Amino acid sequence: MIEYGAIYPEIILILFAVAIPALHLLIKSSRALAGISLVGILASAGMVVYYMVGDYPAIIGDPSAPLIVFDALAAVFSLVFLSVALVVVLASARYVEKDRHLAEYYTLIMMSTAGMMLVASAQDLLTIYVGIEIASMATYALVAFRKKDKRGSEAAVKYVIVGGLSSALSLYGISLLYGITGTSSLAGINEVLAAQGVELTTLLALALLVAGFGFKIAIAPFHMWAPDVYEGAPTPVSAFLAAGSKKMGLVVMFKLFLVGLIAIQANWDVVLGIVAILTMTIGNVVALSQTNMKRMLAYSSVAQAGYMLMAIPLATVVGDYAITGGIFHIITHAFMKSGAFIVVAALAYVAIGESVADYKGLGKRAPFLAFSMAIFMFALAGIPPLSGFMSKVVLLSASVEAAEITQWMIWLGVALVLNSALSLYYYVRVIKYMYVEKGETEARIKVPIALTAAIAICMVATVALGLFFDPVLELCSEAARTLFPALG
Amino acid sequence: MTFAEYAWLIPIFPLIAFVVVGFLGNRLFKNWEGGAPIAIGMTAISLVLSLAVAFEALTTGTGTPFIQSLEWIVVQGGEFAFTFNMGIYIDNLTALMLIVVSFVATLVVIYSLGYMHEEGEKKRRYYAVISLFISVMLGLVLASNFLQMFIFWELVGLCSYLLIGFWNTRPSAASAAKKAFLVTRIGDIMFMIGLFVLFVGFQGNLDFAYIFDNVDAFVGGNELLTFGTLMLFGGAVGKSAQFPLHDWLPDAMEGPTTVSALIHAATMVKAGVYLVARSYPVMVETPDTMLVIAFIGGFTAIFAATMALNNTNIKRVLAYSTISQLGYMFLALGAGGYIFAQQPEFNVGYAAGTFHLMNHAFFKALLFLSAGAVIHAVHTEDMRLMGGLSKKLKITSLVMLIGCLSIAGIPPFSGFWSKDLVLEAAFAGIEYNSLFILLYAFGLITAFMTAFYMFRLWFLTFSGEPRDKHAYEHAHEAPAVMWVPLALLAILAFGSGFAFLFGFESTLVPGLMDFHPHEAGPIDLLTAVFTNVLTYASIAAAVLGIGLAYMMYKKRAIDPARFTSGSVGKTLSNVLLARYGFTKGYDWIGLKVVYGTAKVVDFIDRRLIDGLINGISAGLIRSGNFLRRAQTGFVQSYAAVIVVGVSLIVILLFLVGGVI
Repeated sequence: MIEYGAIYPEIILILFAVAIPALHLLIKSSRALAGISLVGILASAGMVVYYMVGDYPAIIGDPSAPLIVFDALAAVFSLVFLSVALVVVLASARYVEKDRHLAEYYTLIMMSTAGMMLVASAQDLLTIYVGIEIASMATYALVAFRKKDKRGSEAAVKYVIVGGLSSALSLYGISLLYGITGTSSLAGINEVLAAQGVELTTLLALALLVAGFGFKIAIAPFHMWAPDVYEGAPTPVSAFLAAGSKKMGLVVMFKLFLVGLIAIQANWDVVLGIVAILTMTIGNVVALSQTNMKRMLAYSSVAQAGYMLMAIPLATVVGDYAITGGIFHIITHAFMKSGAFIVVAALAYVAIGESVADYKGLGKRAPFLAFSMAIFMFALAGIPPLSGFMSKVVLLSASVEAAEITQWMIWLGVALVLNSALSLYYYVRVIKYMYVEKGETEARIKVPIALTAAIAICMVATVALGLFFDPVLELCSEAARTLFPALG
Repeated sequence: MTFAEYAWLIPIFPLIAFVVVGFLGNRLFKNWEGGAPIAIGMTAISLVLSLAVAFEALTTGTGTPFIQSLEWIVVQGGEFAFTFNMGIYIDNLTALMLIVVSFVATLVVIYSLGYMHEEGEKKRRYYAVISLFISVMLGLVLASNFLQMFIFWELVGLCSYLLIGFWNTRPSAASAAKKAFLVTRIGDIMFMIGLFVLFVGFQGNLDFAYIFDNVDAFVGGNELLTFGTLMLFGGAVGKSAQFPLHDWLPDAMEGPTTVSALIHAATMVKAGVYLVARSYPVMVETPDTMLVIAFIGGFTAIFAATMALNNTNIKRVLAYSTISQLGYMFLALGAGGYIFAQQPEFNVGYAAGTFHLMNHAFFKALLFLSAGAVIHAVHTEDMRLMGGLSKKLKITSLVMLIGCLSIAGIPPFSGFWSKDLVLEAAFAGIEYNSLFILLYAFGLITAFMTAFYMFRLWFLTFSGEPRDKHAYEHAHEAPAVMWVPLALLAILAFGSGFAFLFGFESTLVPGLMDFHPHEAGPIDLLTAVFTNVLTYASIAAAVLGIGLAYMMYKKRAIDPARFTSGSVGKTLSNVLLARYGFTKGYDWIGLKVVYGTAKVVDFIDRRLIDGLINGISAGLIRSGNFLRRAQTGFVQSYAAVIVVGVSLIVILLFLVGGVI
């Protein structure tokens, strides 16, 4: 008899996801459907919290080579995914109300979230792969949700093609690793590699996995799809991709490298460091010359992925502290980035364009939206006392600490600081347009309450995480420690 | 229950008044005198609590201060670890300051009801800022460590700036405010350097309690400590308007007279004296600093007094007098400390300085507020347009006479007792350093000049024939809200000196080992004073000064014009009116030195640094554009890049880690 407790949160979510299309026969209102989805998301989150305060459920699979372990790491990431889903559903309630296939929209979001949560608790490359595919398939459809919209359709096609390629690459990488080690369990792979050492095939498998999973995170040079897709997709979906789907890729990377490949860390730490620096630099430099808000945010999230990725090489030296920083940045980024996207969505809802120039004079026209956007921009740039600052500080101090043992790692910190300074340019430009430049009209803008609520949630989280970070850092640290069983 | 445990509430009440009056809008206070009742009420509550705390400290004082503190900033890090605290420190000196500050403050806000009545909507700003000032001044007095004191030190400076510039549409007031702020800022920077020295020397602990008990633990040698205490004194020089940073105070008279009385006579300018008295246990370790303090004090006393001799602006005369009297306090503290460093046993210096601080607060506040009543009546500050006002302003002229007698040092008025002690302290120094002969002479001459210019002021204002008939006709006595505070202050200006007979010397002692005051009864003290020939010297100086003023401005037996008719007299008079050229000197430094430096820095910043930055940013944006163009939008090329990326990573992995 197998205990399925570890996937109860996913099961709850999927039950609701399946029920919604059926309910749609009775209920036509988008808002009601969104409400039901919210109940599902909250129920699932309740389950996660129940596990967190009580005992974690039994693992699924053979204890020596488990398939699914719902531990602190899985719990924290599940909560991140669920919060993003919550905010996105809240923001979508009015955004998609005039579209067809409403019910499917919510179903897809919840399905995708369930896939991500599965990835967060998976301990086996195959389970991870299955989870990623569940999440991805749903997002392909979400990007193409407005099929009459040419930009959206084009974006979806690109996304499917590049996604398919990446999926193939990662599957190829997985099969090579299986061929070399005879197992697909992360812990098992590590044991075998520790004994066998590295062959050229191992390196090829590694590169394929970096490309395959890196596609999800949008790390350079596998990021090129992201701006096109984020721009074309319905804006709440862009938020979902940047704040949710990207984080799924990161948790896979954490597990793959720190659990599955830690034995051969000398082979990959420098390379991941280079990729991280390259990712943050390319993301920021290209963002400088973007005039479309969604593309700018897309490049910005490429850059932010670089910051998060640097936790992995740092963790080879300072262990859980670096990952604590990485997870904390993932959490803060989830709120500030989805917040920013939803402000764009809210403005699009009242027919304000996506170009930065369209934001002229918003400070007068929509004080709340402009103010919250300013908060998100400052947080993304890392201005104290907002959350983005605190999470960068942890990463930076991790790099300084790591540099005492492994000198080159200081460059990760230097790159972080220089890139943050650089990024300030394009973040503050938005604020300048909103507050300094005069708009053509001063007519006030009214935004639906659900969108306002979604933005408010993100803004409160962005401010609060910067001020009262202790409990959250504690949680991140607990989650990070699960990757380093030796620490207990 | 002890009151001291609630002492932290003392600054809170005026702070509440500041928040309520300052941020709750004009409409609410339109019929409420701009929030005056709230300011008065809160200050009065503070006064009651202050008196309770002070009474408790002075009567049950065991010699150990009451300390309460919270950790504010904790930095851990091995040898660099340090903690900043926020707390209160109450000893007899604190108690004295609490009484002085809260008492004068309460009377001044009440008096403002009448004096500021006609200011309309600006009143709200006035009451808000003055409440803030009272709050931070009390905070300064209660501070338990140097850093906390410094924070409040800056805040009182800010309030001073805001209130000097109260009539912000007047260019002279605006520039006076700026001048006060900038000049005291020089002192503040020195204070800060002093803090750094103490911070390093006492290894990260700035608590009074720790430093005073562990002066020997200072790391860095006596030269460094001397430098540190000198810098602390530098802060006092700025705040208490001592030579050469004195020139802001006469200009500060541009503020309302109530502000001059409270901030620029009774309380804030005393912060410098308080700082020196507070840090006495450290200061006495550095006799060189003490000598500098005594010298600057003595010199400032006579130097500022000369400028009061021929000024015709009633408030300016009082301002110079304030500078001069503050000099007395430093002279006493410096002399006492210097003597103690040579011979560690009791001497009167410390008591003299703090005693004069208290008495001066009362009689100078009285003098300023009386002057305010005069200005309120005749709408001018120019004494040449006054005269004969005693017939119209009976109460004002009487209380001001009490103030004048007190500051002139006529027994038994309060100024007599403390000035006598100051001169005694200076005289005692002669035994240890002959420089004190000069300083004692300065003190004595100052006593003469003080008596002269104060009575010149009184005669010019109140006696003789009115010189401006129109103003005289419209003059009227101040309303009760103004004269009642004046009367209360007059009682203190007369009587606060008797504290001397009831053990002031033995109560107000610095926290020093070997400092054992002799307990003496009133009769013994009286005998000691009046059997001392020095006492008669200072009384004689005062009487001479008053007599000369009487001959010149009342009897007109000596024509004042005689002094300025000759070429020497004329030049001298002009030098005094030009304030020895200090005003111009400040301007020159500001304009030439500071502005010149600023222009150079500006050039470097704009041309060199900005140029570099602009170059870098242009380069980055160009590369951004280039990379953007690489993003073609064709999915084929994306796939191609991915394949190339995989290959590159394989190569990189191979190069970095290799295979086994």
